[in-house]
Amino acid sequence: MISRYHLTQTTLVGGTLWAGMLLLLWIISQLLVWQDKQEQQSEFSEFLTEVEIMLNEHGLEHLLQEFELDEDVIWSDTEARAHLLDDGWLVSIYEQDKLLFGANTELSAATSAQWQSVSLGEEGDTELLSARLDLPDNLHVHYWQKRDDMHAQKAEFYEQLSGWFALLSLPFILAVIVWLQLKRTRPLQDLSAQLEKVAHSPDSKRTEASTSHPDIVALSLAINQMLDEITRLHGNMKTMSVGIAHDLKTPLSRISNRLQSMYQDLDDTAALEGHIDKASSELAQVINTFNNLVRLNAIESGKHIQGFKTFDLSALLDELAQSYLPVFEDSGRRFDVSIVPSVHCHGDRDLLGQLICNLLENALEHSHELSHVWLRLQSHTDSALLQVGDDGPGIPQGDQHKVFDKFYRADISRGRPGNGLGLSIVRAICDVHKAQLCLLEQQPGAVFNIEIPTRSARRD
Amino acid sequence: MHILLVEDDPDTADFICAGLAQHNARVQHCDNAEQAMLSASATPFDVIIFDRLLPNMDGLDAVRVLRASKVKTPIIMLTALSDTADRVAGLEAGADDYLVKPFAFAELYARLKALARRQPLRADTQELFLGELTLNRTSRQVIRAGQEIELMPKEYQILEYMMQNPEQLITKTMLLEQVWGFSFDPKTSLVQTHVSRLRNKLDKPFAFDMIKTIRGSGYLLTGQSDD
Repeated sequence: MISRYHLTQTTLVGGTLWAGMLLLLWIISQLLVWQDKQEQQSEFSEFLTEVEIMLNEHGLEHLLQEFELDEDVIWSDTEARAHLLDDGWLVSIYEQDKLLFGANTELSAATSAQWQSVSLGEEGDTELLSARLDLPDNLHVHYWQKRDDMHAQKAEFYEQLSGWFALLSLPFILAVIVWLQLKRTRPLQDLSAQLEKVAHSPDSKRTEASTSHPDIVALSLAINQMLDEITRLHGNMKTMSVGIAHDLKTPLSRISNRLQSMYQDLDDTAALEGHIDKASSELAQVINTFNNLVRLNAIESGKHIQGFKTFDLSALLDELAQSYLPVFEDSGRRFDVSIVPSVHCHGDRDLLGQLICNLLENALEHSHELSHVWLRLQSHTDSALLQVGDDGPGIPQGDQHKVFDKFYRADISRGRPGNGLGLSIVRAICDVHKAQLCLLEQQPGAVFNIEIPTRSARRD
Repeated sequence: MHILLVEDDPDTADFICAGLAQHNARVQHCDNAEQAMLSASATPFDVIIFDRLLPNMDGLDAVRVLRASKVKTPIIMLTALSDTADRVAGLEAGADDYLVKPFAFAELYARLKALARRQPLRADTQELFLGELTLNRTSRQVIRAGQEIELMPKEYQILEYMMQNPEQLITKTMLLEQVWGFSFDPKTSLVQTHVSRLRNKLDKPFAFDMIKTIRGSGYLLTGQSDD
């Protein structure tokens, strides 16, 4: 259930979080302790100021009363420390260097109110505030105050709290993270399980997110989109292979027949030559199909794009129209040409030449004798509009969206020569030139409109 | 013709050698680029036939090396790669012609003859003669037996190309490449239509046909009557 990866992640994340929280807790407790000490320190300073005022106003007697010290009382170091522990404070009053009253102790006193750490033997360490007051008549008062018990307890409490927190929070945090990870991993595991099933029937099954987590839902949708695209490509490939098989079957079976006939006519040279000629032309058709497939692939790969140049499209069309005019005339069709001069475009001259040839050949092949075929070129603001049309029988209504598919042929029989790749090549050429290609609907005959962008041509 | 054939596929090599032997051409065959480059530098061949895909070395690189070492023998490349870009790459590397496999032997032979003959014809030759036919490349005037013939631009280009390669087979593909600049094969009778129109003007009014059809292969321009 939990992989090594998840374990490492959990430990790393949980550990960092735990350490971070612990550090934060420590900083807060230190701040609170520091605040308490500051408070006590300022109270201590105020008290010293009061002592000074009292001495000045009422004299030493009053001060001794205030400290509840008997005259001449002098505590030894041990007594002094015991007093400090019990009452929380200690005083020594000196005249010059001679101790008059109070503690005869080795504890030092800072010149102004300051904290110091002192070891009190068995009682352990404690912190003291100490200060020295220099008074007139060479009087010095040394005063110590133990840290407020309440504050010390608070500090101790904070330490204990941190300790317990450190001890208890680590497993808690780890548990929470593990739970979160499991919660997040489960839909992903579900998704992988579904994908394993999809692999067996990629055309029909799709994934479904078992959670409302938006990321997982988006992932599931993206996977479904990808599967749809794969299904589409897979379908294309099937059509392609079926198309290739169909396209090759007819000429190959004819060649096979011819080869058998050649055996029969081995002695008849004239018949033999006839068979060889027919077989060769059938083979030429097979090779032509492959050449067209290879060319189609090359065009679709877009490798021609880097060789794009700006050239005179009108001139190219003129030349092709001149070339095809006799072909249309000889086949008994009327061929009208109307080309706006000096239209330039950016592209591959050879490819656009083939595009026009394929459309003209298509018109020639699929129109009847005496029909009318036309080639037009108009110039628009950002594009050139090329139209190749005929008033022949056109393409059946339901098939119009299929005409550019590979191996589509209006006549199912495949009896006529050609391989149904001509218009696929036209579409591929339009795609690499970012040209819009459409077959006009609701028109008698087949009319192809191609809008070739010319903006980039003018910029060159 | 003395020909160097560089081809690693034994079947194709046999096919070409057998065909060339029928035309009494002398053929030296080698199946790798290294040996081919040594032979090409040592012997003055009329034409070299170079396969594009050879073991250890791209034929294109071999041709580049040959051209760099001043071997000027015409080279025709054979290749399974039919795309225009590959064709351009081949010609840029220094090959003189490019033929896509599979091909008819007649196509290869026609191209070999055209290449072998290419050297004597200078680009600035103004007038071409063949029998009673004269073609002026500056004025684009065509005269047969003292009679001027008006030709359309494509018809003129076809005739000009045929006159540069007289008495030789010229295939449909060669015309498509040379006259139209097409690297693809249109399905229809584009070439046939134009040649037939050219014939109507060039041959019909005269005593004999100069343009002969070689069945299944192409055309041939001849200066003499068969009789």
